[in-house]
Amino acid sequence: MNIKAVKAMRGGTHVPSGTTPVSEPLDGDSACDSGSGSERRSGGHESGTGDSAKGPGRRRAVVAVAVVALLAAAPVVLAPYPVSAMSRMLAFAVLVLSVDLLTGVTGLPALGQAAYFGAGAYTAVLIGIHITSDALVQTLAGLVMGLVAAAVTGWVAVRASGIVFLMLTLAIGESVHQVADTWQAVGASNGLAGMPPITLFGGPPLLAAGFVHWWVLAVAVAVFAAVALVVRSPYGRTLRGIRDNEARMRALGYRPALARYGVFCLAGAVAGAGGALWAQQARFFSPGDMGFEVAALALLSVVIGGPGSLWGPCLGAALVLLVRDNLSASIGGHGPLVLGAVFIAVVFLMPRGLAGLTGARLRGLIAARGARLRKENAS
Amino acid sequence: MTPQRVTPLLELRGLTRSYGSLTAVDSVDLALAPGERHALIGPNGAGKSTLFATVAGTLRASGGSVLLSGQDVTSLPEGERARRGMVRTYQHSSLFLDCSVLDNVALAVQRVHRVAHRCDRAARRFRHIDTEARRHLDSVGLLGRAQDMAAALSHGERRQLEVAMVLATEPALVMFDEPTAGMSAAETERFVALMERLPERLTVLIVEHDLDVVFRLAERVTVLHLGKVLASGPPEAIRADEAVQRAYLGSARTEDLFAEAGGER
Repeated sequence: MNIKAVKAMRGGTHVPSGTTPVSEPLDGDSACDSGSGSERRSGGHESGTGDSAKGPGRRRAVVAVAVVALLAAAPVVLAPYPVSAMSRMLAFAVLVLSVDLLTGVTGLPALGQAAYFGAGAYTAVLIGIHITSDALVQTLAGLVMGLVAAAVTGWVAVRASGIVFLMLTLAIGESVHQVADTWQAVGASNGLAGMPPITLFGGPPLLAAGFVHWWVLAVAVAVFAAVALVVRSPYGRTLRGIRDNEARMRALGYRPALARYGVFCLAGAVAGAGGALWAQQARFFSPGDMGFEVAALALLSVVIGGPGSLWGPCLGAALVLLVRDNLSASIGGHGPLVLGAVFIAVVFLMPRGLAGLTGARLRGLIAARGARLRKENAS
Repeated sequence: MTPQRVTPLLELRGLTRSYGSLTAVDSVDLALAPGERHALIGPNGAGKSTLFATVAGTLRASGGSVLLSGQDVTSLPEGERARRGMVRTYQHSSLFLDCSVLDNVALAVQRVHRVAHRCDRAARRFRHIDTEARRHLDSVGLLGRAQDMAAALSHGERRQLEVAMVLATEPALVMFDEPTAGMSAAETERFVALMERLPERLTVLIVEHDLDVVFRLAERVTVLHLGKVLASGPPEAIRADEAVQRAYLGSARTEDLFAEAGGER
């Protein structure tokens, strides 16, 4: 992890985390290793806490505001199609955040989050068709449904960890997918279409892709901020402790399964909200949107982005969807191949994912390059 | 030696632990008065580690009972015993290597202060947790490394951190499992000094190979041999005890040891 991030998280001032999808370092230590598993970071020195943190913290805040501003400005300058592609990435990023909460922060590899994503999405579509087109109601309902679904199914999964947890979540994901695929009430394999456009606070239907994009962006930023807060809270520390050394946590008097259950429910809620967003921008949802492939891509995004970091996996989510939905067509449908290559490259070259590329390391690269250039000029 | 009227802080009654037909710990009786510094010694294979793990709750007892301040905790899991003030350290330091040194201690502090589940504020806004954790780090001499990763600590420093974590759980009883194993002479010296500074009210049970350390720290010593208590008493008495010398301190004829061991099976 880069020193800058570590400093910033420990240190004094902090970014108004409420507004920043990119800002949250998720915190130095945690961001760390889990990607490669084999790598133990032992460096990470830094001395000061207080003042020294202000610089990077402020810089990060600036970057965060800039990124949100750019995302918000997209509808003004871009055509509707790329804008809706960005909305889709944002919704998917919310799902990826939920996977990151489990995998990156708590060390539980999860392949079942697509189930709660789907639960939230179907809830939003059904509410849109039958009850109200209010986006806020739909999203909250999706969130609650994700939470409830995770609470009902999660208590089995959280008793295990590691590969067993992975298989249990995979089983949950596949079962829920099967249900969605065969249940007539939710359109079975055809999915649910005909969701009316969303409205907000009783206003007119938001037909333009730009308005939907702003709504999705606002919710995604709010979810990001909430997750960032959890990660930095004492509970986040508890989760990292479980990731690092569960037996020791028990010896300290913790109940790891309970803490895991909590984060599992939380991740379910986040995934549910992501599902609602996804449904709102597509106005359609089918079992194909919540299958194994989606769960796997979400986990892949976390690995590419850097498990434990929050903004890294969001970037990973954008990258993965970009390759799958947009790039794939132009390279003769070889998107999965590209993703596979990217995955292998990341695992070997960037054990901490995209998140490991920032700060000190990037500055180091730039400095080295600068030095080389200067030397070349001099000679 | 032990005040008889006081309820012992830790009491073992006929504690037994077997692995199949092998009885590693054979009906051990032991009582530790509050504040007592008690060492458990014995030759290799005497059952020290098994006894230790059974008392801590890492292993389940096959028979007998463990009482903490008069309350039976035999059936309680390790975590529940920890919540009741009975904590252990590990022979191989067991830390949160990818967390900062401060976070390692803070994990213990926040559990005791019941904020481990709070997620409404950033961790550093819980000032009292931070202060308390730093105080414990200071008491073991690691305050200067608070922000380093635990993985960056040396072996001796990791043991110091373990002590800070254990103290942070505000225990009544601390059990040290061979704390100076693998330490250099200087590290051992520093560690023993640290042990001598532990708060007086703390009851300590220590399993240790290094007899110099044992005789320096312990007020009472129990010698375990082949799963049974061979002798128990103040260090001077133990040193003089003939059976102990024969079994453990080296003056035994090897034939005796083998004969005895053979007889047990």
